[in-house]
Amino acid sequence: MATEIILPKLGFSVNEAILTEWMLPDGAPVTKGQLLYTMESEKSVQEVEAPADGTLKILKDAGETYEVGTVIGELV
Amino acid sequence: MSVTNQPSKAVLLDIYRIATLIKQADDRFIELIKAGQIASPYYSPRGQELIPAAISVNLKPTDYVVTTYRGIHDQLAKGIPLKPFVAELLGRATGTCKGKGGPMHITHVASGLPVTTGIVGAGLPIANGLAWAAQLKGTDQVTVVNFGDGASNIGAFHEALNLAAVWKLPVIFVCQNNRYAEHTHYTLGTGAATIADRGLAYGIPGVEVDGNDAVAMWQVASTAIARARAGEGPTLIEANTFRFRGHLLGDDSHYIPKEEMAEAVAADPLPRFRQWLIEQGHATDGQLADIEATNVAAFEEAVQFGLSSPYPDVSELDKDVVAEGAQA
Amino acid sequence: MTTASPKKMNTAQAINLALHDAMELDASVVVLGEDIADGQGGGVFKCTAGLSAKYGTGRVKSTPIAEQAIVGAAVGGALAGLRPVAEIMLMNFTTVAMDQIVNHAAKLRFMTGGQTHVPLVIRTTTGAGFGTGGQHADYLEAWFAHTAGLKVVAPATPADAYGLLLSCIFDDDPCIFIENLPLYFQPGEAPVRGERVPIGKAKVVQAGRDITLVSYSRTLHDVIAVAKGLEKEGISAEVIDLRSISPLDMDTIRASAAKTGRVVVAHEAQVDFGVGAEIAARLHKELFGVLKAPVARVGAARSPVPFSKPLEAAFVPTKERILAAVRETLN
Repeated sequence: MATEIILPKLGFSVNEAILTEWMLPDGAPVTKGQLLYTMESEKSVQEVEAPADGTLKILKDAGETYEVGTVIGELV
Repeated sequence: MSVTNQPSKAVLLDIYRIATLIKQADDRFIELIKAGQIASPYYSPRGQELIPAAISVNLKPTDYVVTTYRGIHDQLAKGIPLKPFVAELLGRATGTCKGKGGPMHITHVASGLPVTTGIVGAGLPIANGLAWAAQLKGTDQVTVVNFGDGASNIGAFHEALNLAAVWKLPVIFVCQNNRYAEHTHYTLGTGAATIADRGLAYGIPGVEVDGNDAVAMWQVASTAIARARAGEGPTLIEANTFRFRGHLLGDDSHYIPKEEMAEAVAADPLPRFRQWLIEQGHATDGQLADIEATNVAAFEEAVQFGLSSPYPDVSELDKDVVAEGAQA
Repeated sequence: MTTASPKKMNTAQAINLALHDAMELDASVVVLGEDIADGQGGGVFKCTAGLSAKYGTGRVKSTPIAEQAIVGAAVGGALAGLRPVAEIMLMNFTTVAMDQIVNHAAKLRFMTGGQTHVPLVIRTTTGAGFGTGGQHADYLEAWFAHTAGLKVVAPATPADAYGLLLSCIFDDDPCIFIENLPLYFQPGEAPVRGERVPIGKAKVVQAGRDITLVSYSRTLHDVIAVAKGLEKEGISAEVIDLRSISPLDMDTIRASAAKTGRVVVAHEAQVDFGVGAEIAARLHKELFGVLKAPVARVGAARSPVPFSKPLEAAFVPTKERILAAVRETLN
């Protein structure tokens, strides 16, 4: 059962954020709690951990702005 | 009157149980938010857990605790039931406030949590009213109102301390001084050297304490609560502490010098307290691990309850604006 | 307080009577405000005279000059089961306590999902005519009526002041009770002891066929005087005293407007964005095609209340301006 990686709302009036960097390559094995990606919103940089174990499947490229709630990847 | 007693082993373990529950709740909420499962402003109390834990072991369910948007530690310490608490943060119909209040207005009357406010300083005048009611009814109920260093500069703080002093109300003003009011350091926003000094200005005792020291915090809290119960009036407590996760989740604390944050994290009060309990022979590592595991299981049950609860029906918009049957 | 029942009394006495009767009836009724206890004169307008002597200074408390503290204490007391009646000496000073009124009293029932409610009353006075100037005479009812969760009333007679105050005190939600300075001294029929006036119910003061005149508080008396003058010209005006601003008694207003087809709303508050605007908007929607003329509004000039006597007299809605609006609506 794949776990969706959803771009979160971090901040007061945030509706979109920049996915700044994937910390692991596509296809990499991931453990829950491992640093997965960084994002930027309201000039604040946040590190986001993996919500579950699995193999990383990247769905959205880094360096772009996405709406909060966008599924940016999966852990299969 | 000053309590120089030491808290009993049972009390110390209760403080630990509460403090570690708060940390686990905080960690879990952040996990849920970062996983995109909750979209809500979140004000983490990480670093400040010992303060309400040490206070609450002196309180009864009928005592009142007033707090703010950064209040889950105060609410959990007061004994709010976990399932409706989590459900409220998730905006569900099964929440304490049917999802209509959210994190800034967590309320649970049966636990003695009659009001949580999102307005800095507003809880202090309201706490006076709760205390006035207890005074009139002749009960020995006390009211504890929590706020931050920032709130000590707003008008409501000053009006409330003065009124509490003049009416000799059974209220305890607890300033959780975490050194930052939103993004502004204490020295840039507050004229007085300490907030405790401000008690003198209003004719009430002002006590400064290391809020990250469970025993010291317990002693100061016990003294103030006993004073209030005995009808001797209010106390201002300044509990020094630090917050590790910014003003609001999403804030990367860029306004806090890195060394200052590193120093505070290194002095994290929770692992320090844990270590101290073992060293003093109050508990073994295994016993504390049991407490932690029990907390995690109970909290996870509440999380699953919250996630599987329905959202409130749209018809709830028309309810509770005024009394049922009355015209809004 | 006397047990005698006089035939006439002024509004200040009627308010005082209501407070006495409420405090006698229910031990949870408490009163607070600046100078309100007998040691400080029983209130600047004597509305709270005799209360602390009879019920003690535990239940009747003179406060420091600290409106946030006053209203906040009322909110907290209400949450803990009291029925506080807070006096904010002048309506302009409610601005100092807006956070407690609008962010807390009005909203706590909803935000707590009904776990708590705030049965407080804020009694406050306003009204031009005493040269008190720009910061001591504003009518701000529209601000509060614009906030869901608050009730707003403005009685014009001693009997209505008595009856409405009792209703507000025993209402389970926060009420703003607006008193008028000149009206304190105006005599009227005494109330029937214990008789409450329902919140949200207007009163047809006099019936008529040709035009509906809606008003409240002090302006009502000018409207009544204008109506008497119109009678002599053979114009039959129906006069409605709103008594409550929010909730608004649209049933009574609508029935009258449907009958006459012509409406003038007159109040001492500013015209723009005021109570008259709300009534006009609703009537235009509900009786579009039935009204014979647009709803006219008369109110204060668009300025702060001036000090100088002739300016102050021209500032409030005068009988002349009310009459002018009537004539325009009739043509």
